[in-house]
Amino acid sequence: MKLLIQAELVKLFRRKAYLLMVVILAGLVGMTAFFVVLFPRIAPDLAEGLSPISKPDGYLFGAQQVIGQTWFPLILAVMMLGTEMSGTFWATTLTREARRLRHVTARLLVLSAASWAAIAAAIIGFSVVVAVGAVGEGVLSGTQWVRIFGSALLIQVAWVALGLGLVGLFRSIGPAIGAALAFSFGEALLGLWRPYGNVSLTGNSSALLGAVDPDVFGGMLPGAGIPAERAAVVVGMWAVAALALAWWTLARRDP
Amino acid sequence: MGEGGGVTAAVVARDLRKTYGKTVALDDLSFEIPAGSLTGFLGPNGAGKTTTFRALLGLTRVDAGHAEVLGMAVDSELARIVKKVGAIVDEPGLLRPLTGRQNLVVAAHTLGFGHERIDELAEFVELTDDLDRLVAGYSKGMRQRLALAAALLGSPELLLLDEPLDGLDPAGQQTFKRRLRQLVDEEGRTVVISSHNLNDVQALADHIVVVAKGSLRFQGRLSELLDGGGAMRVTVEQPETAAEQLRSAGFTVSESDGVLLVSTDDGRLVSKTLAEAGLYPSALVPAAQSLETVFLELTST
Repeated sequence: MKLLIQAELVKLFRRKAYLLMVVILAGLVGMTAFFVVLFPRIAPDLAEGLSPISKPDGYLFGAQQVIGQTWFPLILAVMMLGTEMSGTFWATTLTREARRLRHVTARLLVLSAASWAAIAAAIIGFSVVVAVGAVGEGVLSGTQWVRIFGSALLIQVAWVALGLGLVGLFRSIGPAIGAALAFSFGEALLGLWRPYGNVSLTGNSSALLGAVDPDVFGGMLPGAGIPAERAAVVVGMWAVAALALAWWTLARRDP
Repeated sequence: MGEGGGVTAAVVARDLRKTYGKTVALDDLSFEIPAGSLTGFLGPNGAGKTTTFRALLGLTRVDAGHAEVLGMAVDSELARIVKKVGAIVDEPGLLRPLTGRQNLVVAAHTLGFGHERIDELAEFVELTDDLDRLVAGYSKGMRQRLALAAALLGSPELLLLDEPLDGLDPAGQQTFKRRLRQLVDEEGRTVVISSHNLNDVQALADHIVVVAKGSLRFQGRLSELLDGGGAMRVTVEQPETAAEQLRSAGFTVSESDGVLLVSTDDGRLVSKTLAEAGLYPSALVPAAQSLETVFLELTST
C-alpha cells in the first residue's frame, strides 16, 4: 500500500491539474479575503454596505468560506481518476495490481490529503489576512483550530469519495465532471427544501463549524439550524456511502 | 503449471464463454500456450483476441469456463497472477503529461517494486535518451517500447501483448521483434502476441493459436500449420503419366502448371511409386503453404 500511495503522489504532483486547481482556489479565497476583510478598511466609501470584519469571528468566517469550496475535492477526484478511466490507464493499472479496493483506498487517502493540504493552506492564508487587516482583537482557541482543520478533513474525505464514486458510475471524465457540477449546484439548491436540507451534504458541510444562523434569509441557507455534531455524523455517513459507491462501481464492473 | 499433451503450459483456457448482449465474443474457447514459447495469437478483427487477453488478466469476467495462468486459477488467484504477468492490452496505458521515467516509476510502484530496474529496462527497449521527455511527445513506437519496458518491470514469467507491433514503423518493429525473441530465447520467458498481421507472426512465433468467431481453429507449432497438411509438391517430367501412376497407387493428386500436389507426407513412398514406373522427380518437397493461405482457410467459416 505504501508504494501504491507513492505512485498516486507521483501522478498527483507531476500533473498540472492539482497545481492549477490550487491556483484557482487561492484566487477565489484571496478575492474573498480582500473584499470582506481589507476592502471595507481601505476604501470605506466604496465599500458601502460592507462592514469591517472583526477578530476573532473573522477567523471562523474565513474558515467557513474556505471549507465551503467543496468543488475543490470533488473536481480534484473526478479529474484525477476520470482521466485514467477515460483512456486505458485504469485497465493497465489493474494488470499490475488487481485488488481494486487497494486502488480506491490509495486514491482516497492521497486525494483527501492533497485536498486538505490545499484547503488548510487557504484557511491559514485567509487567517493571516484577518490577523493583519481585521478590526478588534482576539484569537481562536486551540480547540477551535483543531475543530476547523478536523472538519475540513472530514469534508475533503466525503467530497473526494463522492468524486471517485461519480467517476466509477460514469466511467469517463466528461460525464463525471458534468455530474459533479450538477451535484454541486443542484444539491445546494435542493438543500433549501428543509426535509432534504437536513441530510444535504452541502448543507451539513456548511454546518460543520457551527450551526448556520437560522435567522439569516429566513433560515433558507443550506445547513441552517443544523448542530455541528449532527452535521459531522451526516457528512460521515455521506463519506461512507460515497466510498461504498466508488468501491462498488470500480470493483464490480469490468474496466 | 498445467499439462497439455506432455507440454508444460503457461496458459490453459477451458470452454471460455463471453457474450455481450446477443454478440458471442468467446464461444467455448479452449487452448493452451506452451511455457517458454513465443506464441502468435491470431484471428481476424472481432475474433475474440482482446477479450481472451482481458479474460486472462481478470479485466473481463467470463460467463462460463475456466482459465489458468502459470498454474493459477484466474478467478481465485488473480492478485498473484498479475504480479507474474506483464501485459499490454488495447492501447498502452500511459500518462502523457508524465515523462517516460515517471510512467515507469508509477508502474513499478503499482506493481510493488522500486526504481531499481528502470534504467536497465530503458536501455533494453532503446529509450534511454528519451526517458526524461514527456510521453506526450513520444511517437507511437516509443510509447509501445515504453509500455514493453513497463510490462517487464516485474520480471514477468509471461508476457501478454495485444497487437504490440500495430502502428510501428519498420525500424521500430525490428527492434520490438528482436527484443521479444531475446526474452524467449535468452531469458526463457513465455511471450504471447496477438496480431492480425500474419507476416509478423510468421517471422516471429514458434507456436500458433488461431481463433475466429470466438472459437479455436488451430493450435500447435507453426511448422505443423504450414507443412501443407500432409501434402508433397512433385516436379516431374510427364506429369500426367506420373499423376495416373500415383492415383493408381491410392494417392490423391492434383496438378497445377505441371507440378503435382500429392496428398501424403511420405516423400519416400511417392518417390518409390514413381520410380517403379520409371519416373524420377526433379523436385519432391513438402508443400509448405503461406500462413496467409492457411489462416484464410481456417477463419473463413
